[in-house]
Amino acid sequence: MARPLDPLGFEDEMCPVCKSRKYLNPDIVFVFNPECYHSMCLNCANRLFNDGPNQCPHAGCNKTLRRKGFRSAFFGDLAVEREVDIRRRVAAVFNQVEDDFETLQDYNNYLQMVEDLTFELVNGTDERRRQAEAQLQAWEAEHRADIERNKKAGREADEISRVRLAAERDAVRQRRIEAIKEAEAEKRERVRSREMELDNLAKGTTAMTAEPATKVQLKRRGQVNRVAETASNPAIATTGMGTGASEVERLSIRGLKEKPKAPAPQGPYDPFGGMDFAPSRYKLHGGLSHPLMEKYRLDRQHVAGGYSFDDFAARALYEAFAGLGVFVEDEKEVGSGIGLSQETSMAAGIAAVVDADKMDLD
Amino acid sequence: MEFNIDDLPVLFPYPRIYPEQYAYMVDLKKTLDAGGNCVLEMPSGTGKTVTLLSLIVAYQQYYPEHRKLIYCSRTMSEIEKALVELRALMKFRAERLGHEEEFRGLGLTSRKNLCLHPSVKREKSGAIVDARCRSLTAGFVKEKREKGENVETCVYHDNLDLLEPHNLIPNGIWTLDGLMRYGEEKKQCPYFTARRMMQHCNVIIYSYHYLLDPKIAERVSKDLSKDCIVVFDEAHNIDNVCIESLSTDITQDSLMRATRGAQNLEAKISEMKDSDQEKLQSEYEKLVEGLKGLDEGRQEDAFMANPTLPDDLLKEAVPGNIRRAEHFVAFLRRFIEYLKTRMKVRQVISETPPSFLAHLKEYTFIEKKPLRFCAERLTSLVRTLELTNIEDYRPLQEVATFATLVATYEKGFLLILEPYESDTAKTPNPVLHFTCLDAAIAIKPVFDRFSSVIITSGTISPLEMYPKMLNFETVVQESYAMTLARRSFLPMIVTRGSDQASISTSFQVRNEPSVVRNYGNLLTEFARITPDGMVVFFPSYLYMESIISMWQGMGILDEVWKHKLILVETPDAQETSLALETYRTACCNGRGAILLCVARGKVSEGIDFDHQYGRTVLCIGVPFQYTESRILKARLEFLRETYRIRENDFLSFDAMRHAAQCLGRVLRGKDDYGVMVLADRRFMKKRAQLPKWINQAFLEANTNLSTDMAVGNARAFLKQMAQPFSAKDQEGVSIWGMEDLKRHQEKMAEDMIVELKTAREEEERERKRREEEERRRFEEERDRVSDYEMDEDDEAEMMALDARIG
Repeated sequence: MARPLDPLGFEDEMCPVCKSRKYLNPDIVFVFNPECYHSMCLNCANRLFNDGPNQCPHAGCNKTLRRKGFRSAFFGDLAVEREVDIRRRVAAVFNQVEDDFETLQDYNNYLQMVEDLTFELVNGTDERRRQAEAQLQAWEAEHRADIERNKKAGREADEISRVRLAAERDAVRQRRIEAIKEAEAEKRERVRSREMELDNLAKGTTAMTAEPATKVQLKRRGQVNRVAETASNPAIATTGMGTGASEVERLSIRGLKEKPKAPAPQGPYDPFGGMDFAPSRYKLHGGLSHPLMEKYRLDRQHVAGGYSFDDFAARALYEAFAGLGVFVEDEKEVGSGIGLSQETSMAAGIAAVVDADKMDLD
Repeated sequence: MEFNIDDLPVLFPYPRIYPEQYAYMVDLKKTLDAGGNCVLEMPSGTGKTVTLLSLIVAYQQYYPEHRKLIYCSRTMSEIEKALVELRALMKFRAERLGHEEEFRGLGLTSRKNLCLHPSVKREKSGAIVDARCRSLTAGFVKEKREKGENVETCVYHDNLDLLEPHNLIPNGIWTLDGLMRYGEEKKQCPYFTARRMMQHCNVIIYSYHYLLDPKIAERVSKDLSKDCIVVFDEAHNIDNVCIESLSTDITQDSLMRATRGAQNLEAKISEMKDSDQEKLQSEYEKLVEGLKGLDEGRQEDAFMANPTLPDDLLKEAVPGNIRRAEHFVAFLRRFIEYLKTRMKVRQVISETPPSFLAHLKEYTFIEKKPLRFCAERLTSLVRTLELTNIEDYRPLQEVATFATLVATYEKGFLLILEPYESDTAKTPNPVLHFTCLDAAIAIKPVFDRFSSVIITSGTISPLEMYPKMLNFETVVQESYAMTLARRSFLPMIVTRGSDQASISTSFQVRNEPSVVRNYGNLLTEFARITPDGMVVFFPSYLYMESIISMWQGMGILDEVWKHKLILVETPDAQETSLALETYRTACCNGRGAILLCVARGKVSEGIDFDHQYGRTVLCIGVPFQYTESRILKARLEFLRETYRIRENDFLSFDAMRHAAQCLGRVLRGKDDYGVMVLADRRFMKKRAQLPKWINQAFLEANTNLSTDMAVGNARAFLKQMAQPFSAKDQEGVSIWGMEDLKRHQEKMAEDMIVELKTAREEEERERKRREEEERRRFEEERDRVSDYEMDEDDEAEMMALDARIG
């Protein structure tokens, strides 16, 4: 048989130590040590490092390796493997999430800071790598409490999502099984009714009986459908409840953190609480005159006490308009709680004012 | 012909009209007035396109809104046909109205079909044409040229800039051919002329993809206004188009090339860092501010657009960890490596996007959010780097598209990894299918954005399936029967062979010699009696091949050969077109021929076998889909879970729509005639799922036949069809002149009046009843109220008393 084509080439790796290939030895397993990320086959690793620590066999690499550190790679590209290992370390320290930031900009800047640091750790020169390492450690020391808290929160979130996924999968499986069952039941039903029909024919019963039979069948099918629907709906409902309950318990709304709001600037103190005393239904013009009032204007008895005719006009108008905004019908409905006596006294009051008006104007 | 529908004057470019055309127009107008969606099924070959166009153009011109028409069709030839119809219509209108209307209609197709550039147009593949065109017309190329650098540009494109931007082409209807000729004459690029003039057109005719595929729709159809009238013609396959537009497949090969693309990007970035640091910096700053360069994003020559739908597009700044170019490339490489590792698995895996993301995060620390921005970030980067050989980055783009999609949609998608091509294959050839299961996702923005969407086809039964699958509401849902003066087609269901054994292509029996022989007999018999052309459809290529070889062994093909030439469709498009040409020649010169083809192949969709090209269509077996496909299984499950469409219902619906398409191939007009044979036992139960116009022609006597009976019926039918038949016989029945139409309209009006009258009487009765009731209630109320009033009087009295005392 022809060899499989392998466009990515990772199956034709060669062990740099013993020079054996996957082609010759299909069972070959490659391992590497995260000390230096040089790969070799499992046999070589066993052979070289079983007797304790030894130097990496790669030319120019003088790292001392132990058998225990060897593992097989997840990625085909060992550079990526290394990067991911570094990222794992970085992610354990820089584990803040969007909720911890007030603005998106802050969050993005944080992300970039982390990425810069990771990039230095992965690709930087020795000097910069050391710097980055130091920065990492400093951050860890500084934010120890936050890191712990986020780690815990992250674990919880993972757990929730895992549970939810599992529940969803279960529900889907349940529904699938139900659908299959339903289909089977229908099939059985069909076969049965067909047999019944044949039996009827064999017994010689005429179309009279055959017709009700089909009717019965139709009815039954409808019933089956209905039953199935109600059966599957609770399935949805219960699964929804199941996940819903766990979510309600630990409901978390993801997103940016709430900003603490600065108190609004306060104006000068207003004893009336912003109440407006300017009349809304009419406008006062100064110098209001009335033929009846003219004589009093000249009358010393009236003027001597400092009596202001404008004040008089303002008061008169105020009283004239005072009841206009009030509709008795509305008041009755709204103010049904007001007692009868209060109402009557109010009416009397109003009447008195009206009388007073008349008197003043005279 | 000129008539009114309600208040709308319609100009119809033919002297006569079919009754179903009139009914179609009435329903169409109803839909447009109500501003909703509709699904309409009109028999093939009854002038659907011209009916649609004449009504909508009349509507556009009569009402002051001048709503734009977007007409989507499937293939280029259909687009061209529609444009020709439109031109004829406008010519007729101009003659009738006595003046040319201000009207512009354009068709749009790919660059490959519209390119005039002397070297680019010679490229074979559409993707390469696109890429080369972009490298000559991109914005930065022009900038460079203005700076005085020596870069190649396309003179046809550059000439466009010299014209007025809203008047690149005079009014009128431009067919694709006409557009090309105009472009050649004026030395301007037809493709960009059409693209830029779309804003200023009354009618646009283009392919589905320009509206449904989010990658293209974002760029091409973004600025169309909300009140456009959208028509999807030949829309029986629209759900599949929707699904395909959001699905991607990733292979090992594409991953390898994506890796190479990422490496190239890296090299380019470091190159640019040395030479033009500024540009990278400015891009970076833009990303920090979250501007995204709105104007740039809209450029028509953008490398690629975001594959997600406008609703789901994030309007945020790009996340901080992929803001820097080198960070982003490292990010991409990590993602690609991860996919490569996943590909190494040797068992079938199907998982949902959330579980994929969870696994991805665990192993590569790639979060969902930056993944969502992948496609957009790549576009920005490519623009900044001013890459011209975009073709090389296509695999990378595919990966980025996949990344964005997988991070955007949780529901309605599934990842399926198939390590082997088939169950028996030993060599692994892994493919990662990212498949969309929900057709409603892709089409949702269309329904959201446009108030009137019209979905129409010759075979779109059962009508209620489409609103269900695509998740929309309709105003009108109608299937029209075909009015015929004589029975011009003969549908039959053959369930038994000449030996009375039942025939079927179900898996258990399809390769039994008796079934194969019976199908062979059916073929020979019909080959004997059919004049000229005959078309045979099989459910799959695989089955066709096996049955042909068995027929060869049984000597059946030799028998058929005596009567007709035998031609076979193959998956290769060029071979097929050659076969078709030979077939047509053979039909024309009287030799007659049989075309063996596949119900889901190229021939079954879009190729017409009118008149002598097809007198019999033989559908061997129910054209079910290959049900073992994992993608199909996933979709079936999804449909059941979400829309409560059962597996079997969907499969049989899908099979029957393809069967109906096949049958519809032979009947392309009212003077055409043909025999339609459905040869499978299972068709008996599925008859009701055929379109109304086929179903109504079914006689009970023509179902459940054996081969010899079917042949006898067909012979009688063909004899009858051979009798002289003058066009006059059709008048008044299947073709209406002006008087017939008037009579019909009057009758409709009368019916309406009667209906209204009865409705009014009903209403009157109802009203009286209600009034009566009301009065009774009122009286009761009043009794109560008057009690209350008395109370009030008492109160007033008491008040007065109090006041006096006070």
